[in-house]
Amino acid sequence: MTTIKIWNFFPREALYECYQCARCTGSCPAMEVAPAYGPRETILKCLNLGHEAVVQDEKIWLCCTCNVCEDRCPQKIPISDLLVALRNSAARRGNIPGKLGMAIELLAKTGRSMIVHQLDEMRAHHGLGPLPPIPVDEIKQILKKTKLNDVIDF
Amino acid sequence: MKYALYLGCAIPIKYPGFEAATRMVCKRLGIDLIDLPFGCCPPPTSMKLVHYDSWLALAARNLCLAEENGLDLLTLCSGCVNTLKEANQILKKNDSKRRKINKILEEHNHNFKGTIQVTHILDVLYQDSIVEKLLREKLIDIPIRVGCHYGCHYFRPPQVMYPEELSPAESYVPVKMDHLLSLIGMEPTEYSRKFLCCGSPLGANMDQDAGYAITRQKLIHIHERNIQAISVVCPSCFEQFDMGQIALSRKTKDLPKIPTFYLTQLIGLSLGMSAKEVGLDVHRVKSKKLLESINVGGQNNSKD
Repeated sequence: MTTIKIWNFFPREALYECYQCARCTGSCPAMEVAPAYGPRETILKCLNLGHEAVVQDEKIWLCCTCNVCEDRCPQKIPISDLLVALRNSAARRGNIPGKLGMAIELLAKTGRSMIVHQLDEMRAHHGLGPLPPIPVDEIKQILKKTKLNDVIDF
Repeated sequence: MKYALYLGCAIPIKYPGFEAATRMVCKRLGIDLIDLPFGCCPPPTSMKLVHYDSWLALAARNLCLAEENGLDLLTLCSGCVNTLKEANQILKKNDSKRRKINKILEEHNHNFKGTIQVTHILDVLYQDSIVEKLLREKLIDIPIRVGCHYGCHYFRPPQVMYPEELSPAESYVPVKMDHLLSLIGMEPTEYSRKFLCCGSPLGANMDQDAGYAITRQKLIHIHERNIQAISVVCPSCFEQFDMGQIALSRKTKDLPKIPTFYLTQLIGLSLGMSAKEVGLDVHRVKSKKLLESINVGGQNNSKD
């Protein structure tokens, strides 16, 4: 299995731009309803504990990717890029929520991220024809080449 | 005006009513839609987080299909537009990523060139020429207080989504849905937390109850302003509000349910289409009483 270099996604020096004002965590919708793992805390942990420790924590998956933290950061730190990189790294170490893993497997096997069930009847109800098939083999071959297998078997 | 119609996964499979409404509205307004064998976008809330290279490659394949047909790509979902716009921008700007992706796609006879734009149905309908056409139609007023929810991925990060329309502080505050709905007699109403997350990704990936707790926060502020309907441009946000209110009402009954609409359903109603034609009959939170009270969406409006 190949690991990924987080700093290819996010400029490491940007971590030091953070002065921990917590404007990001204060505007994070996930933090309001779920146990704390805010953007500010994530940056602090990357600095103090190293990202290797951060990617072990399943709470990094609470982020909704709404980008408000980055939008409001007075230092213009690309926080979303950091959160994408951390989760890519986490997924390669097996830290991936079960529901999300199943969704990725479905996508890889069918080319779509929704289960198709009694679809023709449902579409006919709205006056629509059947959904044309998509080239699943082509999509699978592309995903083999991008090495999705490093994360999910399909 | 012609676009490659990118339906995504959730709309044609879960909410075909949105597709039906969109196709009818576009037909009336002279927008040609071409169907191509697209796959999943894939979502910025799933594949991008789990395997970035796979995310970029599948997005590139979709972009190539539109390029090969010489068409700009029209999306109906905030997630799809986010992925496809960002991937388009990355592949246009970054030579090494483009070479890497093209090497993967060449076996399937695709080659990303960077010749098309990605857009969203809201931006297409907001164009001057389309608004002029809309205003020449016989429009039925829908005089209700509506709260617009744009969906985070529709406009954030603004540097990727609307680089040409940034404020001096490099921010972007979306207004197009509010403006469009005011044209059909609706009363767009501001509410606190309008531009924050609906809770969908958290619910889908991790914890359904935590996701709905975010939705509830928004709903509380929507109720504060006596809003009668919610309008969205994304199927995931739609599900969060529609199904979410049903799930939340099993726990507490303090908030009356507010019907949610996809943008083109509301425009379709104003163009005289019936509630069933635009697919409102399958929504979990029913809009029948509300629409009957203002005499909109009945069968008799349909064919005059």
